[in-house]
Amino acid sequence: MKSNNQNGSQNPAVIEVADLKVRYGDKSALKGVSFDVYRNEILGIIGPAQSGKTTLLKVINRTLEFTPDTTVEGSVRLDGEDISTIGDVYGLRRRIGMVQPLPVGLPLSIYDNVAFAPRTAGVRSKSELDETVERCLQQAALWEEVKDRLSTLGTKLSGGQQQRLTIARALSHQPDILCLDEFSIAVDPITTMRIEDVLKTLQTEMTILLVTNLVQQAKRLANRTAFFLNGDLIEIDATDIIFSENPSEQATYDYVNGTFG
Amino acid sequence: MNALMTRPESRKKIALQGIAFIMVGAAFIFLWNDLKKTATAHIQTSSVSRISGTLPSLLSDLNLILPISLMAVLFGVACAFYLEEWLPATSWVRRFIESPVDFLIEIPSLLYGLLAITIFFNYAGIFKEIGTPPLQNVNESGLDVIPFQRNTTIFYAEALIFILMVTPVALKTTQEALRSVATPIRESAYVLGANQWQVLAKQVVPLAFPRILSGACRAMSRAFAAAALLIGIHISDHTTGPRGIPDRFMLFLGGALLLSTISSFLKESRLETSPTVTARHDSL
Repeated sequence: MKSNNQNGSQNPAVIEVADLKVRYGDKSALKGVSFDVYRNEILGIIGPAQSGKTTLLKVINRTLEFTPDTTVEGSVRLDGEDISTIGDVYGLRRRIGMVQPLPVGLPLSIYDNVAFAPRTAGVRSKSELDETVERCLQQAALWEEVKDRLSTLGTKLSGGQQQRLTIARALSHQPDILCLDEFSIAVDPITTMRIEDVLKTLQTEMTILLVTNLVQQAKRLANRTAFFLNGDLIEIDATDIIFSENPSEQATYDYVNGTFG
Repeated sequence: MNALMTRPESRKKIALQGIAFIMVGAAFIFLWNDLKKTATAHIQTSSVSRISGTLPSLLSDLNLILPISLMAVLFGVACAFYLEEWLPATSWVRRFIESPVDFLIEIPSLLYGLLAITIFFNYAGIFKEIGTPPLQNVNESGLDVIPFQRNTTIFYAEALIFILMVTPVALKTTQEALRSVATPIRESAYVLGANQWQVLAKQVVPLAFPRILSGACRAMSRAFAAAALLIGIHISDHTTGPRGIPDRFMLFLGGALLLSTISSFLKESRLETSPTVTARHDSL
């Protein structure tokens, strides 16, 4: 399926997902979904558990390969290039920032956590790393809290701080695409608002895929919203339409308004 | 992933241990006569020597055990890294190696030695070599001296047994250590664009290192425990007179070994119902 800029979006498609089917063993996780993600948009992805949201993100950065016994059919194109044929998978992952639902602090200092990705990419200059660390921690609204103790272990931070650390880490390699998988699960509402503001400013630089269980968060942030249910893409449309009184599918309306689930 | 695999995994383990137990038991029964023959024949043919006691053989054993078991441990660790980090999870090589490893680990270290004596001494023709009276040297003072020299065939036999005994333990514990590094940690490193070597060097090895080290210690201690048996070999090699292990004692020893195998089999297979399991059934 070729992108044809529906919904009046002016930007070209960055990610083109075409008839993507994923199975874990004989259990179907995604049952043939097709959609495009346009440059510099925030695409909200909502849906109940087991609807394939996280699987979708894992397919995009090819971390699904670590799960044994999975089969992937269909194609995902990143800037027109089929990701399954990309030779430099590490380079691909560096183009995609990923924030996982539960914060995983690497057992390194705060500084090293954020500097991990630039270092693996080959950045050695201290001043450059310092600058990256400060910028990313500030973007993740964490700088003020940790600037005096950058050398303490990242795993010693509180859950919410660790989550923001993972966001800082995801930004540290300056990705084109930022995937956030339930980033606000362990973050208090005030900090969530601060991060959401950051995301809005980041939108000018990158494309953001926002998987969230908080439908209101999708409503606040996303330009377009996709509703997944049991591995099917039920509806993808402008956020205003999804959250309006008359989305094209009844299931969407029910989910968004909390009458089902 | 782990939670899903627990049930078939433990079933497989029970089956493996059952097979191990039966095979060990069968081997013991079949080899019992040979074992007895070895002990008695040895006493008759062993010559009078001036050096008696276990200290020399113990020292020479330590001399042997240390380098060999170190090498075996390193080999096991390297194997584990290959199996866990490079081979795909579904590879047949992994299954091919893991089953014998599980099997070898279950055998008590003392039993290794007993089987080794019988097999190497009887069937490899080494026994005949030992049976010949040792070379008698006469020094200036006129006293005959048994040269404190290691029989090379015994050396290789011992080395082989040690490798067979130590490597699986080192391999298994290292595998467990590598598996203990949570998948999310690896994944979050991969997500940041690290390649396999970077993930290994920066995340996995630092986290798994204590466990790998303790596993290596366990493997080494297994080697040292079997030194007891090698002392047994050398007692009949070096001491004078009919001081072999009496038949009854051997029988008792065999029984104890079988019992210990059974008990470890029961413990590992969790045939005893643990309180948590019952509690869960009650709540259901």
